[in-house]
Amino acid sequence: MKKCRSVIVLFLLLSGFTVGAQTRNSLVLGKEHLILMLDLNSSKPQLDTILLKAGVKTINTAAILHNDFTSLTNDGWKLAKREKNTVIFNRALKDLDVNPQNQPVLITTNIAPDHGINPGVPGYPDEETFGINKFMKLTVYDLPSGLTRFYLPGFLKAKRVLLSGSFNNWSTLKGTMLKTDSGWVTDARLAPGVYEYKYIIDGRWQRDRDNLQQHADGFNDVNSVYYKYNHTFTLKGYANAKKVMLAGSFNNWDAGNISLQKTGNGWQTRFYLHDGTHTYRFWVDGKWVTDPANPITVKDADGHTNSVLNLGETVTFKLNGHTEAKKVYLAGSFNNWKPGEILLKKTATGWAIPIIVPPGNYGYKFIVDDNWITDPVNPRHITEGGISNSFISIKPNYTFRLAGYGNAKSVHIAGNFNDWDPDGLVMDHTGNEWTIKMHLKQGKYRYKFLADGKWLLDPANKLYEQNEQHTSNSFIWIE
Amino acid sequence: MYRPCLFLLILILMASLQTGQCTEKVSIGGITFKNAMRGPDPDPSGDFNTVIVPIKRAGNLIIVEAQIDTLAGNFVLDTGAPYLVLNATYFRNMRKIDTQEPAGLNGAASESFTTAVFNFNILDIHYPRLTADVTDLSAIENGRGVKILGLLGTRLFSKFSITVDLFRNTLYIQKLDADGNVPVGEQAFHEPWMKTSFRFANDVIFIKGTANGDTMWFAFDTGAESNLMDYDRARKILPGMQVINRSKTTGIGGSAFEVIYARFDTLLIGDRRFIKNRVLLTSLEKMGKAYGHSVDGILGYDFFIRGVFSINFAKKEFEMYIYTNQ
Repeated sequence: MKKCRSVIVLFLLLSGFTVGAQTRNSLVLGKEHLILMLDLNSSKPQLDTILLKAGVKTINTAAILHNDFTSLTNDGWKLAKREKNTVIFNRALKDLDVNPQNQPVLITTNIAPDHGINPGVPGYPDEETFGINKFMKLTVYDLPSGLTRFYLPGFLKAKRVLLSGSFNNWSTLKGTMLKTDSGWVTDARLAPGVYEYKYIIDGRWQRDRDNLQQHADGFNDVNSVYYKYNHTFTLKGYANAKKVMLAGSFNNWDAGNISLQKTGNGWQTRFYLHDGTHTYRFWVDGKWVTDPANPITVKDADGHTNSVLNLGETVTFKLNGHTEAKKVYLAGSFNNWKPGEILLKKTATGWAIPIIVPPGNYGYKFIVDDNWITDPVNPRHITEGGISNSFISIKPNYTFRLAGYGNAKSVHIAGNFNDWDPDGLVMDHTGNEWTIKMHLKQGKYRYKFLADGKWLLDPANKLYEQNEQHTSNSFIWIE
Repeated sequence: MYRPCLFLLILILMASLQTGQCTEKVSIGGITFKNAMRGPDPDPSGDFNTVIVPIKRAGNLIIVEAQIDTLAGNFVLDTGAPYLVLNATYFRNMRKIDTQEPAGLNGAASESFTTAVFNFNILDIHYPRLTADVTDLSAIENGRGVKILGLLGTRLFSKFSITVDLFRNTLYIQKLDADGNVPVGEQAFHEPWMKTSFRFANDVIFIKGTANGDTMWFAFDTGAESNLMDYDRARKILPGMQVINRSKTTGIGGSAFEVIYARFDTLLIGDRRFIKNRVLLTSLEKMGKAYGHSVDGILGYDFFIRGVFSINFAKKEFEMYIYTNQ
């Protein structure tokens, strides 16, 4: 009975706590009005949530908590009632009567992405630092030709089997597999990286049952994941060792998850590793060993010596002058704008640092003794979060070209890739054309040229669509 | 004198018939096409009883790949569209067999016209000729980041029964027997949890239902990424509805307008009760005009994601199956 009583007390305490934690914020409909009730005893995050739901343009919770409701009244809300710590605002619903659209598909696809009903496009994996395939039975593997072979055992009664994935735009018509005496097979050309795929067997999606690497597909099932490898780690000798593992910055120094296999003259493992600078060591029967074949090492904060691996394109960032400065750092979207991370070295004429940057378009700045400056010799800039930064494209895969316009003083490009900033991306004048190279991932890119400030459609591109100004935009699809 | 008079009379009669055809108007996607009396397109053909088409998803859209001759690409399965609609971005140079009336409010109508496509295929289903409208669908592409060649409207399936299984992302397109039924051996799902008849007006599916006690006519639209309700029509049932959020959306012309996404408790369709419903409140006046039939609400993704659904266009029956993961 005592135990029972204590349970009841606990329950009452808990329920009391829950009630205490509840606030009276609400957003409900009336017949003619939208009614917003704010409990000023709420926490800032609670108020932020309800104001975001209410679609308040400029949310100033701090002011609201100090009884300053200007941000709400400026947004069209009327103060209807105030009782102690509860304020009630409302706004007329007549705005809902305006809807120029005539197709539901056009209304709902245009709603801001934070609406919550639009989860986006799954099936295209984010970049990963490293990846190792895990198969119960090896059904996907790289051929000596560089192609990747996908083999689906069985399903010999099927009429049509396809391979569909992030590498072929999830096509449901391409990727035809050939029937063999034991299953279905096709080859795909893949660059190193991470891919998601499924098979389509007589119209039905089917994950690779032999593949243990999976990502949620966003729709109650999983996609199979394949890593196309690009790097081999080798440790020669140690013939008598029982177990050799690898750990590094790419796997949070976990010595338990990457094992090396014994070869004729040592140990080896191969996996996918993203471009960048990585540090690593081998773990041989419980002892740490740096890579004897790699002369580049670095000491970590704890005094351990680690081997260093630089994968990808090295870019040298240079800043001329500023020789009187004490320290110059580099920061950009490639290092999440961490200011004290990339320190430049003094040279005879200024400052420089070679670093590895993965393919992409980036904004960057130099930090000269705490002053953030754009790169004075780079005419290109990109506006990010309202701030203008220098622009660099690493391993560009697309060139925008505008032929002619030889008399133009300058030609710029603007598009959804730079928030339509008309000034940022100046094009090079080479021969009889203007060009700019950019790294573009899969997707649709809308753009226009500006010759001496005058907007132009791309005359060499047949693809264009209407824009809000009824002047059309050119666009391309990168697939 | 008698003969030429008769001849003249016949001529006048024929001319008036012709005029009658010429003044015929058809509305698609809110754009009124004049002179649009169309000969029916030939029936689709193909050696199949059931075609199983893999579905792709973009947001809450149902995407199916189809081919026009050798050009293959994504189409939205859109029961809100009466027939095939092509994206002007890729098809603006098609032969115009009709033009539309001056631009509508959305400002995008200037590019809209009617055309005919030949050799349209959805896997094994072959359409020798299809009348299609060409209009700007760039808003869908840009909103969802997926290349869209067009919309597959209801008339493409009017001889069939279609079943959409969004749990396994599969579309079944099935031939019907002489009685308008899917032969028992071909049925993919059995014992529907809900069954209701629908009205098929101007190639749009209208289902009668009750929202919070108020009887309404809903258009069933697989292209609607949420349920929608006409604000004016729903005013009676609004008080007390919890708001999920209030947001802005953009028309093709770039004008922003407000919508409210809210919850309502009970929706009755085919004598079945659906609880915890979500609905976008806006004006559906323009849509009613596009449908040629006033509409109180639209049953979209929030509704049809509740189960596997079948539409039998011959029997005008809508069924829903509760997914059991068999």
